[in-house]
Amino acid sequence: MRRTITPLTGGGMLAAAIVLMAVAGQRLPAVTAQSAPAAAAAAAIPDLAGIWDGTRRAHPINGPNVPWARTVPEGALLPDGSKADKTYKSNFPVLNERALAFQKIFDEPLSPKYDCQPSTPPALEFDPFNMELVQWPDRVLLRYEKDDQLRTVWLDGRQPTSRNYAVQGFSVGRYEGNALLVETTHYVFDVTGFDDYNGIPSSQQKKIKERYWRDGEQLKVAVTVEDPMFLREPASYTMRYLPAAKGYKLQPFDCDPEAARLSVQFIPPKYK
Amino acid sequence: MITRLRMQVGLLLGAGALAIAAPAAAHHSAAAAYDETKKVEAQGTVTRILVKNPHSWVFLDSTDDKGQTIEWQIEMGGVPSMAWAKDGLPIGATVKVAGHPSRAAGSHGITGATFAKPDGTPIGPRGGRGEYTPR
Repeated sequence: MRRTITPLTGGGMLAAAIVLMAVAGQRLPAVTAQSAPAAAAAAAIPDLAGIWDGTRRAHPINGPNVPWARTVPEGALLPDGSKADKTYKSNFPVLNERALAFQKIFDEPLSPKYDCQPSTPPALEFDPFNMELVQWPDRVLLRYEKDDQLRTVWLDGRQPTSRNYAVQGFSVGRYEGNALLVETTHYVFDVTGFDDYNGIPSSQQKKIKERYWRDGEQLKVAVTVEDPMFLREPASYTMRYLPAAKGYKLQPFDCDPEAARLSVQFIPPKYK
Repeated sequence: MITRLRMQVGLLLGAGALAIAAPAAAHHSAAAAYDETKKVEAQGTVTRILVKNPHSWVFLDSTDDKGQTIEWQIEMGGVPSMAWAKDGLPIGATVKVAGHPSRAAGSHGITGATFAKPDGTPIGPRGGRGEYTPR
Protein backbone atom coordinates (compact mmCIF):
# COMPACT_ATOMS: atom_id res chain seq x y z
CA MET A 1 0.00 0.00 0.00
CA ARG A 2 2.88 2.34 0.66
CA ARG A 3 3.59 4.68 -2.20
CA THR A 4 7.07 6.01 -2.61
CA ILE A 5 7.63 9.02 -4.79
CA THR A 6 10.77 10.30 -6.37
CA PRO A 7 11.08 14.07 -6.25
CA LEU A 8 10.37 15.63 -9.61
CA THR A 9 10.22 19.22 -10.61
CA GLY A 10 6.84 20.57 -11.63
CA GLY A 11 7.96 20.58 -15.26
CA GLY A 12 9.28 17.05 -14.93
CA MET A 13 6.02 15.81 -13.48
CA LEU A 14 4.02 17.47 -16.25
CA ALA A 15 6.30 15.97 -18.90
CA ALA A 16 5.98 12.55 -17.31
CA ALA A 17 2.20 12.85 -17.27
CA ILE A 18 2.08 13.88 -20.92
CA VAL A 19 4.20 10.89 -21.89
CA LEU A 20 2.04 8.52 -19.85
CA MET A 21 -1.18 9.91 -21.28
CA ALA A 22 0.18 9.74 -24.81
CA VAL A 23 1.17 6.11 -24.29
CA ALA A 24 -2.28 5.36 -22.96
CA GLY A 25 -3.85 6.97 -26.01
CA GLN A 26 -5.62 9.61 -23.99
CA ARG A 27 -6.29 13.09 -25.19
CA LEU A 28 -4.24 15.65 -23.42
CA PRO A 29 -6.15 18.08 -21.26
CA ALA A 30 -6.72 21.41 -22.88
CA VAL A 31 -4.22 23.66 -21.20
CA THR A 32 -4.02 26.14 -24.07
CA ALA A 33 -6.35 27.54 -26.71
CA GLN A 34 -9.36 27.22 -24.47
CA SER A 35 -12.82 28.19 -25.54
CA ALA A 36 -14.21 31.37 -24.02
CA PRO A 37 -16.20 29.59 -21.27
CA ALA A 38 -13.25 27.34 -20.52
CA ALA A 39 -10.91 30.30 -20.40
CA ALA A 40 -13.26 32.06 -18.04
CA ALA A 41 -13.37 28.98 -15.85
CA ALA A 42 -9.59 28.69 -15.95
CA ALA A 43 -9.29 32.31 -14.95
CA ALA A 44 -11.44 31.56 -11.94
CA ILE A 45 -9.14 28.80 -10.73
CA PRO A 46 -7.21 30.07 -7.72
CA ASP A 47 -3.45 29.73 -7.86
CA LEU A 48 -2.60 27.52 -4.91
CA ALA A 49 0.48 25.91 -6.43
CA GLY A 50 3.81 25.98 -4.73
CA ILE A 51 6.02 24.37 -2.14
CA TRP A 52 4.63 25.08 1.27
CA ASP A 53 6.47 25.11 4.57
CA GLY A 54 4.80 22.82 7.09
CA THR A 55 7.45 23.09 9.78
CA ARG A 56 7.07 24.75 13.16
CA ARG A 57 7.64 28.09 11.43
CA ALA A 58 4.14 27.76 9.99
CA HIS A 59 2.25 26.03 12.77
CA PRO A 60 2.72 23.98 15.93
CA ILE A 61 3.83 20.47 15.10
CA ASN A 62 2.17 17.15 15.78
CA GLY A 63 1.58 16.40 19.44
CA PRO A 64 -1.03 15.58 22.06
CA ASN A 65 -2.57 19.06 21.68
CA VAL A 66 -2.17 19.40 17.92
CA PRO A 67 -4.26 19.79 15.82
CA TRP A 68 -6.93 19.61 18.46
CA ALA A 69 -6.89 20.33 22.15
CA ARG A 70 -9.37 20.57 24.97
CA THR A 71 -7.48 23.50 26.45
CA VAL A 72 -4.43 25.51 25.45
CA PRO A 73 -2.53 28.23 27.30
CA GLU A 74 -3.48 31.76 26.44
CA GLY A 75 -1.11 33.06 23.78
CA ALA A 76 -0.23 29.61 22.42
CA LEU A 77 0.26 29.37 18.67
CA LEU A 78 -2.68 27.61 17.05
CA PRO A 79 -2.53 25.57 13.83
CA ASP A 80 -3.98 28.46 11.80
CA GLY A 81 -1.19 30.78 12.91
CA SER A 82 -3.30 32.77 15.35
CA LYS A 83 -2.76 32.96 19.10
CA ALA A 84 -5.14 31.37 21.57
CA ASP A 85 -7.11 33.74 23.75
CA LYS A 86 -9.60 33.41 26.57
CA THR A 87 -12.37 32.50 24.14
CA TYR A 88 -10.62 29.29 23.01
CA LYS A 89 -13.04 26.38 22.81
CA SER A 90 -12.08 22.75 22.65
CA ASN A 91 -12.02 21.21 19.19
CA PHE A 92 -10.99 17.81 20.51
CA PRO A 93 -12.97 15.03 18.79
CA VAL A 94 -15.97 13.71 20.67
CA LEU A 95 -15.27 9.99 20.84
CA ASN A 96 -17.89 7.25 20.98
CA GLU A 97 -17.59 4.23 23.24
CA ARG A 98 -15.81 2.20 20.57
CA ALA A 99 -13.12 4.83 20.22
CA LEU A 100 -12.76 5.10 23.99
CA ALA A 101 -12.32 1.34 24.18
CA PHE A 102 -9.63 1.46 21.51
CA GLN A 103 -7.90 4.26 23.40
CA LYS A 104 -7.94 2.18 26.56
CA ILE A 105 -6.28 -0.86 25.01
CA PHE A 106 -3.97 1.13 22.74
CA ASP A 107 -0.33 0.24 23.20
CA GLU A 108 2.19 2.68 21.76
CA PRO A 109 4.32 0.04 20.00
CA LEU A 110 1.23 -0.91 17.98
CA SER A 111 1.46 2.34 16.11
CA PRO A 112 2.17 1.61 12.44
CA LYS A 113 4.62 4.50 12.21
CA TYR A 114 7.23 2.44 14.04
CA ASP A 115 7.34 0.30 10.91
CA CYS A 116 7.43 3.20 8.47
CA GLN A 117 3.81 2.85 7.48
CA PRO A 118 2.75 6.27 6.21
CA SER A 119 0.54 8.60 8.15
CA THR A 120 -2.62 10.24 6.89
CA PRO A 121 -4.20 13.60 7.72
CA PRO A 122 -4.00 15.03 10.36
CA ALA A 123 -0.58 13.53 11.31
CA LEU A 124 0.63 13.78 7.72
CA GLU A 125 0.11 17.53 7.85
CA PHE A 126 1.57 18.24 11.26
CA ASP A 127 4.90 16.48 11.27
CA PRO A 128 7.39 19.22 10.45
CA PHE A 129 8.00 18.83 6.75
CA ASN A 130 7.10 20.59 3.55
CA MET A 131 4.35 19.94 1.04
CA GLU A 132 4.02 20.75 -2.64
CA LEU A 133 0.69 21.50 -4.25
CA VAL A 134 0.58 21.00 -8.02
CA GLN A 135 -2.45 22.00 -10.09
CA TRP A 136 -3.18 20.19 -13.33
CA PRO A 137 -6.35 20.59 -15.37
CA ASP A 138 -7.83 17.30 -14.26
CA ARG A 139 -6.25 16.83 -10.85
CA VAL A 140 -4.40 18.39 -7.96
CA LEU A 141 -1.36 16.66 -6.55
CA LEU A 142 -0.47 17.01 -2.90
CA ARG A 143 3.09 15.83 -2.47
CA TYR A 144 4.27 15.48 1.11
CA GLU A 145 7.87 15.12 2.17
CA LYS A 146 6.61 13.31 5.24
CA ASP A 147 6.53 9.62 4.44
CA ASP A 148 7.02 10.38 0.70
CA GLN A 149 3.28 10.52 0.26
CA LEU A 150 1.37 11.57 -2.83
CA ARG A 151 -2.31 12.37 -2.69
CA THR A 152 -4.17 12.81 -5.99
CA VAL A 153 -7.31 14.92 -5.96
CA TRP A 154 -9.35 14.13 -9.04
CA LEU A 155 -11.21 17.07 -10.59
CA ASP A 156 -12.64 15.22 -13.60
CA GLY A 157 -15.74 13.85 -11.97
CA ARG A 158 -14.58 10.30 -11.41
CA GLN A 159 -15.76 8.59 -8.26
CA PRO A 160 -14.13 5.87 -6.17
CA THR A 161 -15.02 2.23 -6.56
CA SER A 162 -14.69 -0.63 -4.12
CA ARG A 163 -11.19 -1.17 -5.47
CA ASN A 164 -10.00 2.27 -4.40
CA TYR A 165 -9.43 1.73 -0.69
CA ALA A 166 -5.93 2.92 0.08
CA VAL A 167 -3.78 4.37 2.82
CA GLN A 168 -4.50 7.89 1.55
CA GLY A 169 -8.03 7.02 0.48
CA PHE A 170 -9.54 8.43 -2.70
CA SER A 171 -9.89 12.18 -3.17
CA VAL A 172 -12.17 14.14 -5.43
CA GLY A 173 -12.33 17.90 -5.61
CA ARG A 174 -13.55 21.04 -7.27
CA TYR A 175 -12.87 24.74 -7.24
CA GLU A 176 -15.36 27.04 -5.64
CA GLY A 177 -14.70 30.74 -5.56
CA ASN A 178 -11.15 31.27 -4.37
CA ALA A 179 -10.85 27.80 -2.88
CA LEU A 180 -10.17 24.18 -3.69
CA LEU A 181 -12.63 21.81 -2.02
CA VAL A 182 -11.51 18.23 -1.46
CA GLU A 183 -13.39 15.24 -0.14
CA THR A 184 -11.54 12.04 0.68
CA THR A 185 -13.06 8.65 1.47
CA HIS A 186 -12.03 5.00 1.07
CA TYR A 187 -9.36 4.99 3.73
CA VAL A 188 -8.23 1.69 5.19
CA PHE A 189 -8.47 1.05 8.92
CA ASP A 190 -5.68 2.73 10.83
CA VAL A 191 -5.18 2.21 14.56
CA THR A 192 -3.84 5.77 14.83
CA GLY A 193 -5.63 7.20 11.82
CA PHE A 194 -7.00 10.26 13.60
CA ASP A 195 -4.39 10.82 16.25
CA ASP A 196 -1.08 9.09 16.83
CA TYR A 197 -0.53 10.85 20.15
CA ASN A 198 -3.91 10.26 21.72
CA GLY A 199 -4.42 6.87 20.11
CA ILE A 200 -7.58 7.59 18.12
CA PRO A 201 -8.21 5.12 15.30
CA SER A 202 -10.01 5.70 12.03
CA SER A 203 -12.06 3.28 9.97
CA GLN A 204 -13.02 2.71 6.37
CA GLN A 205 -15.80 5.22 7.02
CA LYS A 206 -13.32 8.02 7.65
CA LYS A 207 -14.15 11.04 5.55
CA ILE A 208 -12.06 14.17 5.32
CA LYS A 209 -13.29 17.42 3.84
CA GLU A 210 -10.69 20.08 3.11
CA ARG A 211 -10.88 23.61 1.86
CA TYR A 212 -7.65 25.17 0.58
CA TRP A 213 -7.31 28.88 -0.08
CA ARG A 214 -4.72 31.63 -0.10
CA ASP A 215 -4.73 34.20 2.65
CA GLY A 216 -2.05 36.70 1.73
CA GLU A 217 1.17 34.72 1.53
CA GLN A 218 -0.31 31.86 3.53
CA LEU A 219 -1.99 28.70 2.32
CA LYS A 220 -4.89 28.02 4.66
CA VAL A 221 -6.63 24.68 5.00
CA ALA A 222 -9.88 24.13 6.86
CA VAL A 223 -10.30 20.44 7.65
CA THR A 224 -13.34 18.55 8.89
CA VAL A 225 -13.02 14.88 9.78
CA GLU A 226 -15.88 12.43 10.15
CA ASP A 227 -16.09 8.77 11.06
CA PRO A 228 -19.27 7.36 12.58
CA MET A 229 -17.33 4.29 13.69
CA PHE A 230 -15.35 6.36 16.19
CA LEU A 231 -16.55 9.96 16.35
CA ARG A 232 -19.89 11.11 17.70
CA GLU A 233 -19.74 14.21 15.53
CA PRO A 234 -17.38 15.79 13.01
CA ALA A 235 -14.26 17.50 14.33
CA SER A 236 -12.58 20.46 12.66
CA TYR A 237 -9.41 22.47 12.62
CA THR A 238 -7.88 25.13 10.41
CA MET A 239 -4.18 25.18 9.66
CA ARG A 240 -1.77 27.18 7.60
CA TYR A 241 1.32 26.68 5.53
CA LEU A 242 3.83 29.38 4.67
CA PRO A 243 5.81 29.66 1.43
CA ALA A 244 8.91 27.49 1.50
CA ALA A 245 12.28 29.12 0.98
CA LYS A 246 12.82 30.26 -2.61
CA GLY A 247 14.30 27.48 -4.70
CA TYR A 248 13.55 24.80 -2.14
CA LYS A 249 12.96 21.33 -3.55
CA LEU A 250 11.17 18.56 -1.76
CA GLN A 251 13.53 16.13 -0.11
CA PRO A 252 12.98 12.37 0.01
CA PHE A 253 11.84 11.12 3.41
CA ASP A 254 13.09 7.59 2.86
CA CYS A 255 11.88 6.25 6.19
CA ASP A 256 14.46 3.96 7.74
CA PRO A 257 12.99 0.91 9.48
CA GLU A 258 15.80 0.69 12.05
CA ALA A 259 15.61 4.37 12.94
CA ALA A 260 11.82 4.24 13.11
CA ARG A 261 11.65 1.27 15.48
CA LEU A 262 14.64 1.78 17.80
CA SER A 263 12.80 3.72 20.47
CA VAL A 264 10.16 1.03 20.95
CA GLN A 265 12.64 -0.81 23.20
CA PHE A 266 12.43 2.12 25.61
CA ILE A 267 8.68 1.82 26.16
CA PRO A 268 7.78 -0.25 29.22
CA PRO A 269 5.46 -3.08 28.17
CA LYS A 270 1.81 -2.35 28.85
CA TYR A 271 0.78 -6.00 28.69
CA LYS A 272 2.48 -9.12 29.96
CA MET B 1 17.83 8.45 43.05
CA ILE B 2 21.36 8.93 41.81
CA THR B 3 23.25 6.28 39.93
CA ARG B 4 26.98 6.77 39.65
CA LEU B 5 28.75 5.32 36.69
CA ARG B 6 32.47 5.34 36.12
CA MET B 7 32.29 7.46 32.99
CA GLN B 8 30.59 10.40 34.65
CA VAL B 9 27.18 9.05 33.96
CA GLY B 10 24.56 10.37 36.30
CA LEU B 11 20.83 10.27 36.52
CA LEU B 12 19.84 13.62 37.87
CA LEU B 13 16.53 14.77 39.20
CA GLY B 14 17.68 18.35 39.48
CA ALA B 15 19.12 20.72 36.95
CA GLY B 16 21.82 19.25 34.74
CA ALA B 17 25.11 20.85 33.80
CA LEU B 18 23.90 20.96 30.22
CA ALA B 19 20.62 22.46 29.21
CA ILE B 20 18.01 19.93 28.22
CA ALA B 21 16.23 20.57 24.97
CA ALA B 22 12.61 19.94 24.28
CA PRO B 23 12.11 16.35 23.14
CA ALA B 24 12.84 15.88 19.49
CA ALA B 25 10.56 15.44 16.78
CA ALA B 26 6.94 14.87 16.26
CA HIS B 27 7.03 11.34 15.04
CA HIS B 28 5.83 9.69 18.20
CA SER B 29 4.94 10.33 21.76
CA ALA B 30 8.29 10.83 23.47
CA ALA B 31 6.56 10.54 26.83
CA ALA B 32 5.85 6.86 26.17
CA ALA B 33 9.52 6.03 25.82
CA TYR B 34 11.25 8.71 27.88
CA ASP B 35 10.74 10.24 31.31
CA GLU B 36 10.70 13.95 30.65
CA THR B 37 10.70 14.73 34.37
CA LYS B 38 14.18 13.27 34.76
CA LYS B 39 17.56 14.13 33.36
CA VAL B 40 20.56 12.03 32.60
CA GLU B 41 24.11 12.97 31.74
CA ALA B 42 26.73 10.78 30.17
CA GLN B 43 30.14 10.96 28.64
CA GLY B 44 31.35 8.51 26.08
CA THR B 45 32.83 7.83 22.68
CA VAL B 46 30.85 8.31 19.50
CA THR B 47 30.69 4.95 17.75
CA ARG B 48 27.97 5.45 15.16
CA ILE B 49 25.58 8.05 13.83
CA LEU B 50 22.40 7.19 11.98
CA VAL B 51 21.16 10.30 10.18
CA LYS B 52 17.77 9.11 9.00
CA ASN B 53 14.08 9.84 9.00
CA PRO B 54 11.90 9.71 10.93
CA HIS B 55 14.56 10.15 13.64
CA SER B 56 18.31 10.16 13.74
CA TRP B 57 20.39 8.35 16.35
CA VAL B 58 23.75 8.88 17.98
CA PHE B 59 25.46 5.97 19.70
CA LEU B 60 27.97 6.44 22.51
CA ASP B 61 30.04 3.77 24.22
CA SER B 62 30.61 4.28 27.92
CA THR B 63 31.27 2.09 30.95
CA ASP B 64 29.37 1.61 34.15
CA ASP B 65 30.63 1.29 37.74
CA LYS B 66 31.52 -2.35 37.16
CA GLY B 67 33.57 -1.60 34.09
CA GLN B 68 30.96 -3.04 31.77
CA THR B 69 30.56 -1.32 28.44
CA ILE B 70 27.18 0.27 27.94
CA GLU B 71 25.85 1.80 24.77
CA TRP B 72 23.82 4.99 25.00
CA GLN B 73 21.31 5.30 22.17
CA ILE B 74 20.41 8.93 21.73
CA GLU B 75 17.34 9.81 19.71
CA MET B 76 17.56 12.99 17.68
CA GLY B 77 15.48 14.80 15.08
CA GLY B 78 15.10 13.79 11.45
CA VAL B 79 17.54 14.41 8.64
CA PRO B 80 16.76 18.13 8.18
CA SER B 81 17.95 18.91 11.70
CA MET B 82 21.20 16.95 11.61
CA ALA B 83 23.45 18.73 9.12
CA TRP B 84 25.76 19.75 11.98
CA ALA B 85 26.33 16.21 13.22
CA LYS B 86 28.81 15.00 10.59
CA ASP B 87 31.42 17.51 11.72
CA GLY B 88 30.14 18.00 15.25
CA LEU B 89 30.13 14.37 16.31
CA PRO B 90 32.98 12.59 14.51
CA ILE B 91 33.31 8.88 15.11
CA GLY B 92 35.76 8.31 17.95
CA ALA B 93 35.23 11.69 19.58
CA THR B 94 34.60 11.88 23.32
CA VAL B 95 31.53 13.95 24.10
CA LYS B 96 29.14 14.75 26.89
CA VAL B 97 25.40 14.38 26.45
CA ALA B 98 22.49 15.46 28.59
CA GLY B 99 18.84 14.65 28.09
CA HIS B 100 15.83 12.73 29.28
CA PRO B 101 16.34 9.03 30.08
CA SER B 102 14.42 6.14 28.59
CA ARG B 103 11.76 4.47 30.73
CA ALA B 104 12.21 0.73 30.19
CA ALA B 105 14.20 -0.95 32.94
CA GLY B 106 17.82 -1.55 32.02
CA SER B 107 17.65 0.53 28.86
CA HIS B 108 20.07 3.31 27.97
CA GLY B 109 18.16 5.69 25.76
CA ILE B 110 18.19 9.47 25.79
CA THR B 111 16.04 12.06 24.03
CA GLY B 112 15.91 15.85 24.06
CA ALA B 113 19.68 15.68 24.00
CA THR B 114 22.30 18.40 23.97
CA PHE B 115 25.97 17.69 23.35
CA ALA B 116 29.19 19.28 24.59
CA LYS B 117 32.89 18.67 24.40
CA PRO B 118 34.51 17.31 27.58
CA ASP B 119 35.43 20.89 28.54
CA GLY B 120 31.78 21.89 28.33
CA THR B 121 31.87 23.70 24.97
CA PRO B 122 28.49 23.16 23.28
CA ILE B 123 28.47 21.16 20.06
CA GLY B 124 26.15 21.99 17.22
CA PRO B 125 23.35 24.53 17.08
CA ARG B 126 22.04 25.15 20.60
CA GLY B 127 24.18 22.27 21.79
CA GLY B 128 22.98 19.97 19.04
CA ARG B 129 19.43 20.19 20.19
CA GLY B 130 17.56 17.25 18.76
CA GLU B 131 14.81 19.22 17.19
CA TYR B 132 13.61 20.12 13.75
CA THR B 133 14.29 23.67 12.72
CA PRO B 134 12.75 25.78 9.99
CA ARG B 135 14.52 25.48 6.67
